Amino acid sequence: MNTWTIMTYELRRLFRSRSLLLNQFLLPLLLIFLLGTSLSGVVGNQSNQTIHSVRVGVVNLPTKNTSESALVADFLATPELQDIIIPISLPSREAAESGLRAGKYGYAVIVPPGFDQKVQNGEQAQLEFILGKDHTNNLVAGTVFDNFVDHINDIQAAASILGPESLAAFTPSNEDTLSPLKLGELGEDGGSYSATQFYAVSMLLMFLLYCGLTVNISLFNEKEEHTLFRLNSMPVKGSQLFIGKMLGVGTVSIVQCSAIILLSHWLYGVYWGNRPVLLILFCLLMIIASMTLSIVVSMFFKSGASARSVITVLTVCMTFLSGGMAPLPESWVNTVGPFTINHWMMQAILGMMLHVDVSKIMPNLLAMALICVVLFGAALSSYRKVGYHA
Amino acid sequence: MALAVLTDVVKRYDGKLTVDHLNVSIQEGEIFGLLGPNGAGKSTTISMLCGLLPIDSGSIEVDGISVAANPIEVKRRIGLVPQDLALYDVMTAAENVTFFGKLYGLRGKLLKERVEEALAFTGLSDRAKDKPSSFSGGMKRRLNIACAIMHRPRLIIMDEPTVGIDPQSRNHILESVKKLNQLGSTVIYTSHYMEEVAAICDRVAIMDKGHIIACGTEKELRERVAREEKIVIKASNINPGLIQELGLHPRINRVEVREDVVEIYLPSSQGELQDILFIFAKHEGIIASLHVDEPNLETLFLSLTGRSLRD
Repeated sequence: MNTWTIMTYELRRLFRSRSLLLNQFLLPLLLIFLLGTSLSGVVGNQSNQTIHSVRVGVVNLPTKNTSESALVADFLATPELQDIIIPISLPSREAAESGLRAGKYGYAVIVPPGFDQKVQNGEQAQLEFILGKDHTNNLVAGTVFDNFVDHINDIQAAASILGPESLAAFTPSNEDTLSPLKLGELGEDGGSYSATQFYAVSMLLMFLLYCGLTVNISLFNEKEEHTLFRLNSMPVKGSQLFIGKMLGVGTVSIVQCSAIILLSHWLYGVYWGNRPVLLILFCLLMIIASMTLSIVVSMFFKSGASARSVITVLTVCMTFLSGGMAPLPESWVNTVGPFTINHWMMQAILGMMLHVDVSKIMPNLLAMALICVVLFGAALSSYRKVGYHA
Repeated sequence: MALAVLTDVVKRYDGKLTVDHLNVSIQEGEIFGLLGPNGAGKSTTISMLCGLLPIDSGSIEVDGISVAANPIEVKRRIGLVPQDLALYDVMTAAENVTFFGKLYGLRGKLLKERVEEALAFTGLSDRAKDKPSSFSGGMKRRLNIACAIMHRPRLIIMDEPTVGIDPQSRNHILESVKKLNQLGSTVIYTSHYMEEVAAICDRVAIMDKGHIIACGTEKELRERVAREEKIVIKASNINPGLIQELGLHPRINRVEVREDVVEIYLPSSQGELQDILFIFAKHEGIIASLHVDEPNLETLFLSLTGRSLRD
């Protein structure tokens, strides 16, 4: 009964602490948002962006001596391009410029007279691209025409070295349909994690480690405010007092963990993977590891401030070395990372996000369980040795 | 009947003897004062009595129960008012008392009644819903007491409960101690304020360097002081003839002169004052002030240790 009373009043006191609410609940959500949005280019990839068709003004006119460019016309007629660019024939360069200024076209291509002949003879040939106002449109159309220019360069090179007969080799045949490239994906189900997901995991783990600070504050506040002296003089066993306090802090940590997971999902759309039970289990193990680590540290320091400094340094170092602050070189993560608690959790949760097979997550679960057993044993023996009294 | 008995109790810190073969028994229903300067061993004795510190040797029993063998049962019978304020600032006064009451096993209606009773007793009923952070020093001290008495303990131990508070709050606390005693609690009251102990305690033990150097009622202790009173006279025109004639008086033990103050030591001032005033007039000594120092606990401590209580 005493344990229950101590736990409920511990919870009451913790939830009345404004600094706790700010640091444990608001700060992680804010950091997930800030890091996820500002470092999206550094970690993972964002969701696919829809590209709208670009209206491209094309000046490709026959002259007295030459016909219009068949190479350009054929290229523009390619079916794969129909969803990307919409070619619009224009009578002159002026019309193209005027359309670009007015925003009627996103991009313009000026084909010089005799372009095809020059290419086939291996002579110098120059297409003119005029960029429009929109960066994305310029990027999309530029990429399309860069591809075309590469193709033209190949033709020119073959023609100048092997002669015009070689041009037949550039006619596509059915045998060439197999692409030499394949676009790979990180996950087994074809998904990959975003920067927001990565930092959501990283911040969750860092703040679960910080729950060790709550343990420390809870233990030392009783000493510093002399309430421990009074509690020790009451008919309460030392173990009841200690367990009650730890249950209180543990409950706060579970609420904190749930809040980070659920709010990051609802507010930022963070997908936490397909194994909620495993996720809960990992989080509980992380809370146990963090609390027991903090108990060990707190038992051997007389001053709360010193113990807090050590716990903060440990938390930041483990988050960094596990690659949680910024992606580290793989060699680093593989050699130093396994010595941190975060590493095993991070790899497991990222794996769950990518739907990897459960057999690949089990070693991490075992490693976490082992860490917890070792730290729990250390906390128990240090409590027996040092005790918790004023 | 003795409620608490300390027999040959010894406590060492880092090899240094803090409590040295202490023997004392506290009778049920009395207010027992433990007087001594800082570092005398009072708080260590209290901590051992409450089961907060293990004793190195000897034994302590409360209500016939050994503290070492059954500390939880002993703690149920004790209400400790610690020297330092031991309150939760984020909880209201009522929540503080309720929390500690629950740990003493009080529940439901009884708990509610006892919390209201403790707050009323300490004059904090109207501030029950306020947090201690908004209280004055005296109010915090009173709440500190409320948290220790709500379970109606048989033995209340107050460790310097009036440190750093205004005279009004001090009087309130002293009156509360007397009232608690009238309601049936035995009280152990530690202080280094001699006046407080003299005012409320039935018996007083004077501690120094881990020993009890004297123990008894205030009257008994005063009688132990050398049977000598001191008349202190501040005067001008103190001349050798005046001092010589005072020294020759058959009832005066000795005379000491410090600048413009004459200290006259004699068995009793009664009946001799007129003679002394006559000698002063005869030698044209002009008296500015005069008072008689009666022996008290301070003098007793001084005579036993050669030091002042507040050194």
